[in-house]
Amino acid sequence: MHPTFASIQIAAPELVLTIGSLLTLMLGVFRGDRSLVPLTWVCVLIFGIAGVAAATGDQAAAFGGLYVADGFSAYLKVMILAAAAVSAVLALPYLQHAATGRFEYPVLLMLATLGMCMMVSANDMLTLYIGLELLSLASYTLAAFHRNEARSSEAGLKYFILGALASGILLYGISLVYGFGGSTNFETLSATLRGPAGQSTGVVFGLVFILAGLMFKISAVPFHMWTPDVYEGAPTPVAAFFSAAPKAAAMGLLVRVCVEAFGGMTFDWRQIVSVVAIASMLLGAVGAIGQTNIKRLLAYSSIANVGFALIGLAAGTVEGISGVLFYMAVYLVMTLGAFVCVLQMRDADGKPVETLSSLNGLSRSRKGLAAALAVLMFSLAGIPPLLGFWPKFAVFTAAIDTQLYLLAVIGVVASVIGAYYYLRVVKAMYFDEPAPAFAASDSRVNAGLIGIAALFCSPLGMLAITPLVGAARVAARALF
Amino acid sequence: MRRGGRTRRAPFRTAPSDLKTLVTAVFAFYLFAGIVLLSGAATILSKNPVHSVLWLILAFFNAAGLFILLGAEFLAMLLVIVYVGAVAVLFLFVVMMLDIDFAALRAGFVKALPVGLLLAVVLVSELLLVAGGSVRVVAGEAAAPLDGFVGMTNTQALGSVLYTKYLFVFQASGIVLLTAMVGAIVLTHRQRAGTKRQDVGAQVARTPASSISNVKPVSGEGVSL
Amino acid sequence: MIQLLVFLPLAAALIAGLGNRLIGNLPAKLVTTAALFVSAALSWTIFLDIGLAHGAGYSVRVLEWIVSGDMRVDWAFRVDTLTAVMLVVITSVSALVHLYSWGYMDEDPDQPRFFAYLSLFTFAMLMLVTADNLVQMFFGWEGVGLASYLLIGFWYKKPSANAAAIKAFVVNRVGDFGFSLGIFATFVVFGTVQLTPILAGSAAMAGATFNFLGAQFDVMTTLCLLLFVGAMGKSAQLGLHTWLPDAMEGPTPVSALIHAATMVTAGVFMVVRLSPMFEAAPDALTVVTYVGAATALFAATVACVQTDIKRVIAYSTCSQLGYMFFAAGSGAFGAAMFHLFTHAFFKALLFLGAGAVIHSMHHEQDMRFYGGLRKSIPITFAAMTIGTLSLTGFFFTSGYYSKDGILEAAFANGSEASMVAFFVGALVALLTSFYSWRLVFLTFFGEARWGASEHVQHALHHDHGHDTEDTTDSDHAHHASAPAGTGGYHPHESPWTMLAPLVVLSIGALAAGFVFHEAFIGAEGGTVFWNGSAVFREPLAEAMHHVPAWVVWTPGAVMLIGFAIAYWAYMASPTLPARFVAGNRGLYAFLTHKWFFDELYNAIFVKPAFAFGRLFWRGDGRVIDRFGADGAAALVSASSGAAKRFQSGAVYAYALVMLIGLAAAATWVLRPALLG
Repeated sequence: MHPTFASIQIAAPELVLTIGSLLTLMLGVFRGDRSLVPLTWVCVLIFGIAGVAAATGDQAAAFGGLYVADGFSAYLKVMILAAAAVSAVLALPYLQHAATGRFEYPVLLMLATLGMCMMVSANDMLTLYIGLELLSLASYTLAAFHRNEARSSEAGLKYFILGALASGILLYGISLVYGFGGSTNFETLSATLRGPAGQSTGVVFGLVFILAGLMFKISAVPFHMWTPDVYEGAPTPVAAFFSAAPKAAAMGLLVRVCVEAFGGMTFDWRQIVSVVAIASMLLGAVGAIGQTNIKRLLAYSSIANVGFALIGLAAGTVEGISGVLFYMAVYLVMTLGAFVCVLQMRDADGKPVETLSSLNGLSRSRKGLAAALAVLMFSLAGIPPLLGFWPKFAVFTAAIDTQLYLLAVIGVVASVIGAYYYLRVVKAMYFDEPAPAFAASDSRVNAGLIGIAALFCSPLGMLAITPLVGAARVAARALF
Repeated sequence: MRRGGRTRRAPFRTAPSDLKTLVTAVFAFYLFAGIVLLSGAATILSKNPVHSVLWLILAFFNAAGLFILLGAEFLAMLLVIVYVGAVAVLFLFVVMMLDIDFAALRAGFVKALPVGLLLAVVLVSELLLVAGGSVRVVAGEAAAPLDGFVGMTNTQALGSVLYTKYLFVFQASGIVLLTAMVGAIVLTHRQRAGTKRQDVGAQVARTPASSISNVKPVSGEGVSL
Repeated sequence: MIQLLVFLPLAAALIAGLGNRLIGNLPAKLVTTAALFVSAALSWTIFLDIGLAHGAGYSVRVLEWIVSGDMRVDWAFRVDTLTAVMLVVITSVSALVHLYSWGYMDEDPDQPRFFAYLSLFTFAMLMLVTADNLVQMFFGWEGVGLASYLLIGFWYKKPSANAAAIKAFVVNRVGDFGFSLGIFATFVVFGTVQLTPILAGSAAMAGATFNFLGAQFDVMTTLCLLLFVGAMGKSAQLGLHTWLPDAMEGPTPVSALIHAATMVTAGVFMVVRLSPMFEAAPDALTVVTYVGAATALFAATVACVQTDIKRVIAYSTCSQLGYMFFAAGSGAFGAAMFHLFTHAFFKALLFLGAGAVIHSMHHEQDMRFYGGLRKSIPITFAAMTIGTLSLTGFFFTSGYYSKDGILEAAFANGSEASMVAFFVGALVALLTSFYSWRLVFLTFFGEARWGASEHVQHALHHDHGHDTEDTTDSDHAHHASAPAGTGGYHPHESPWTMLAPLVVLSIGALAAGFVFHEAFIGAEGGTVFWNGSAVFREPLAEAMHHVPAWVVWTPGAVMLIGFAIAYWAYMASPTLPARFVAGNRGLYAFLTHKWFFDELYNAIFVKPAFAFGRLFWRGDGRVIDRFGADGAAALVSASSGAAKRFQSGAVYAYALVMLIGLAAAATWVLRPALLG
């Protein structure tokens, strides 16, 4: 077979997503906005097909080394596609209420997902950049999706400007590394950098720029500034999407770049990653105290969680990387669950409300919702019987194994501080005087999603630990 | 586009002994590079955004000159045609049409300026250090021309890899552009109620039966259709 | 069998909790209570089999749980004598408390939730004591913490209950932090979290040191102290004790189950379970001894001035836990467990008795509004008296055997710390006797004083028809010429569901010591009984029989002296306490403010933490403003002029922060080159 055809087969998930997005775009253009609901389900179906393709497809390098499908990319792709599918579905009632039920939503979601799949399969700086840009462009549009609302437009514009700056920084880093390392291919770079070129300050300088560009996407401190504003301004389903799939994709990309391309320079990036992890955990935990908007709160929560996941990367061992992957999987469920709960927060007229105080006394008006949110909050806080504890434990263990004691200790401290604001939400729901009740649930699908997320995070979810950790280990091994 | 960029047939490599060419090339390099830097700075600093765009166009032209010096005439032409001819001119239109409060913009700029300058100085000095310290590592090994491209024009060379070796990223770039297009439409396109537009399909589908009716007007009573 | 024992309460909790309103009160109560009685029966079978018939301990693996690198954690039940003792205590008390709650919580609208929490708690506690590795123990540890949080805050409409729940949770997190560090460190040292290899390998690690910041530290001492911080939190030892008295805001059955008999003893259990580790760390044992003795003294002194009946018993619990710890610190792990065992009976009895008093007094908890109750509620009176006798160590009751055992062990150990603990323990025995009898005298003897109580007034005037029994009683009271001080209210005895547990526990409080003392702390019986499940120092047990006669008689003597003082102060000469207080204002204030611990913590931790939070909340805005951004304001008033403003400020500031971070990172990695 011609190598191009073989390559196309290996890149089947991307192919499915490309064709699928073009198809839905076509259908949408001809059928108009009333096709939002069917198109969303088509989109979910395509995500499903792509997921199967990713999980079962051949694993090899393709397109002359630009692209690679391995255990690592398969694990992340399944995760990303699942999260994206959930993000597509959970938006339906919101979009219909807000009268912005435009069919482009699933299309843009698919294009972003295509970008993410390219990112986690990137084996070359070129693919990395193109994938990242594809995701970013779709994300900017999604953030401003409520174009008639000043907050949404502002979020989109802010994200765009800062994102462009981050892209510039990333590109600059890539050119420095290309100039001093002589290649953009990860494997070639890895081999080159283990030699004398790895000692070159130019490569180190480029590495810093690349890390900065990638850390913008995972919103690690100090590249996090956009996160609270964008989460707050963007439509809630979009914020849910931002907090989930792109985080996993960018984290996967960061891991691959660090471990694969710069595997010989672990000493250099470990310092940066450690400091960023510490800053993210602490700022995420402390910044959330005093927030009154639940979306801002979740933004800080995602900053803190990224910090915890970075601990695993700082360890840089198979255990550490599998810890990161495990962490991201659990985090995805928790954050999506929490955001679906936020979507339920609508006043009697069906208008979304976002203040924390509107949750007061929720346990009396919406018992199930309150219980589910409480489970998710306890889990995010990392309280042991719940699932959120275990990935934290895994990354801390990995850090201790590599003698990064300080990192583990600060991680524990930050999780203790963080528990405060998660518990504050629980306290508001269970112990405060009731605020006006929310409108009734508007979607059985979303109610189901909340239930599944809460169940997964409950102690029952511990049944999932063994398979999940097993898969994460297989994925992490692919990098070593 | 690593190979495309490398297919240099510049005077540097082919005729190093030709002193006159070398001097010309060095002179041209510093001229173009200097103007790029100056016009780049002017783009940021000029008060009127229209002037900014004009400075940007100048920067593009000089960057194209640098490409020519490197022997990358195809990229140079692309820069002039696409960036100068299309993008920058579009910029110019947009900037002229928009009503932007430049005073407010500049207020933020001035406040951030001291820190920004400090950062710039730090980064530039570090960069100089890096460049100064590392040149010897690269010299000689990274600049070798690649087999298979010797004797080709760089348009040819680019063409030969774009749809083969770089098929994946090339197509993906297409998708990126499509996404940008969809995004632009989502954010700006709106259907205004009450505008009359031509619907070719409806016009073509008209039949005499649906367009003509026979009436018998009675004098003094008018017609109702 | 053990699986059934452990998971029955969980199943019951799930049925009652998820079913809630759907299945109604009665089925929820039936399911949970029945499950607990079955569990209790199974526990006694295991106890008889392993403890008394000297069957071999065993371990049951449920499932492979976590495999991560070198770490393997299975979910397994470890069953040996130590576990069996705890199983008996937990399930028996829990079953009785379930039954008791039928009566106590009868009027509560949320009963299924309550019973579900109780059963959930029991499950978590069972997980803790059956753990065969530290991670599983930690799981149970956090589980009981969570259940305790839920139960203390059960009456979530009461702000004080919420505050107490949060306080308990937060203070316990401090302890848990130590515990988790201890687990991490143990894993680092031993390479495993399984108990068996850790305990077997402890002796070999004795004396090993590690280097930290240039100083040498003893490995085992560090590990044990970290773990002990966890035990201190859970068992409310001095420093981390502040949550326990406040936890009395929860319903009284909860106090009896969690804050007297089971959860608070988890710390003692942990120290005994890890006794081989502590044996390898003599310095840690010394710390345990001092902390235990200090807690015993502190809590006993504070208990003397409390007026809330439940708080007296709570401080008493705190004090008795101190006894257990200094017994463990003196190497008498058997004696510690024995006191844990008997304490569970008589303290649960006291709490449930107090609950019965409170129930009959319409939730009035202040002893100053009691008095002369012995005639109205005779069965409760009898049960409380038995509990008090046992607590004070009256001859041949349970408390007599266990407390004397502890004091003799401390004396027989002979080390400096143990001798201090012995004398403190003797003094505390005196105080214990004093405050316990004070409680009895104030509650059951003297004149009726409840006429002035708001709760009783409330019951008389507003709650007609609220409860049939009440109505008859108060109607009756209105007709009869009411004695002075009663306000016309006539207390009534509690229903049988509440009295039956009292009777059962009374038997335990009287007889448990006599029946089991040879097995738990006897020189020959102990070795066979404990069978290696905890360290049992046979020479120490032997030495306990050869202490001087005055040591043997001291506890009895101080107990009688304490009784005499209480009688004198509250029966013979009732004005004495007031005169004493007037003469010693400073001491009284010191005790009523509980040695100023809460005030101290408030000043050191709580206020700075709040200030810190405020700083970030406000400071954040200021920082951004300083960079010329009115971004926050623009967000709020997005409708007007936002389009102009958001472009200028915030984004500049954000970009600057990014670039500063970038420049800092670049400078950092380039510092070798920069520094030459």
